[in-house]
Amino acid sequence: PCRAQPKKKKKVDVKKEQAQKERMKKKLKKLEKAAPELIPIEDFITPLKYSESNRVRSLPPLSPEESERRVLLMKKWCLFKQKQDEAEKKAIKALVESQQEALKELRLESEELYQAAIRRDEGLFPFERDGPSYTPPLPGYDPPEGKCVDITKVYTQ
Amino acid sequence: DALLGCHRSYRSRPTHGIGKFKYLLPKELPKKRKEKVQVKEIDAGTEYQYGDVNIQMTSYDLCLVEHFAQYVHRLCNRLSIRVNESYAMPTKTNEVLFMEEKGSKMQLDAVLTTHQRVVQIRGLSSTFAPILLEIIQSSQPEGVHLLVKQHTEADFKSRLKSRPELEELLAEMS
Repeated sequence: PCRAQPKKKKKVDVKKEQAQKERMKKKLKKLEKAAPELIPIEDFITPLKYSESNRVRSLPPLSPEESERRVLLMKKWCLFKQKQDEAEKKAIKALVESQQEALKELRLESEELYQAAIRRDEGLFPFERDGPSYTPPLPGYDPPEGKCVDITKVYTQ
Repeated sequence: DALLGCHRSYRSRPTHGIGKFKYLLPKELPKKRKEKVQVKEIDAGTEYQYGDVNIQMTSYDLCLVEHFAQYVHRLCNRLSIRVNESYAMPTKTNEVLFMEEKGSKMQLDAVLTTHQRVVQIRGLSSTFAPILLEIIQSSQPEGVHLLVKQHTEADFKSRLKSRPELEELLAEMS
């Protein structure tokens, strides 16, 4: 039995739905206006307990031999580092030079191969490498069972 | 109008600058506008040049990772490779629990923090890339995990805070 009432319900529903949609759109616009923020990095925030304490470290005075020894050690270290740095620069230069020479020779050999060699290598990235370890892995080592729980603080805007 | 328009200052007279007072007031710094975090254009690179490349260094040791990142940054400066950005990714904290072998099923703890630093490069030529990788590898300290990959928008978005309300609304709308 069709009555006039269900028609009213439909109208009211449609209006309510439209009002709801408009409200949601307004909310969306407001939220989208706010720029996204970067997650704060805990490394750069010094914890309060290190800034509150008043204890100051008082170092004993150095004897002249000790300070002399330290200055000489610093000089030796500087020299060592300089040699290391120069060796690195030399190595880079040598690598670049030898590469350029090889490419020159390749160009003289065949132009096609040279063009193919100059192109970028798609298989190079992503490149992953673990750092060297202090000791090689122990053979037959049985690690205890356990689990790792991620407790990073989740920041929401 | 003629009276106001006359700005003769008589610089030789002792009355020069007689109306000035702004130098006496405290200096007002220009209002700091919050720099909005914008999605920067990601360079795709040509056939002979890589676009934006991220060198990501991860380790448990904060000082090592920081120093290594500084070293890589200075190396790129020295080799005149353009460095877009050099930033830190948020630290991850892990709680390590392990089962005791005595059978009482106790779990002891250790809390480890993983730190990550990223150096973003642009315009790396295809011939120089393997050389750079060699140099970085040869000076890689122990315990520092190196990852070199191309920069994507997902990488950028992982640095931003999550907005659950926005996502909920978007899900409801569609």
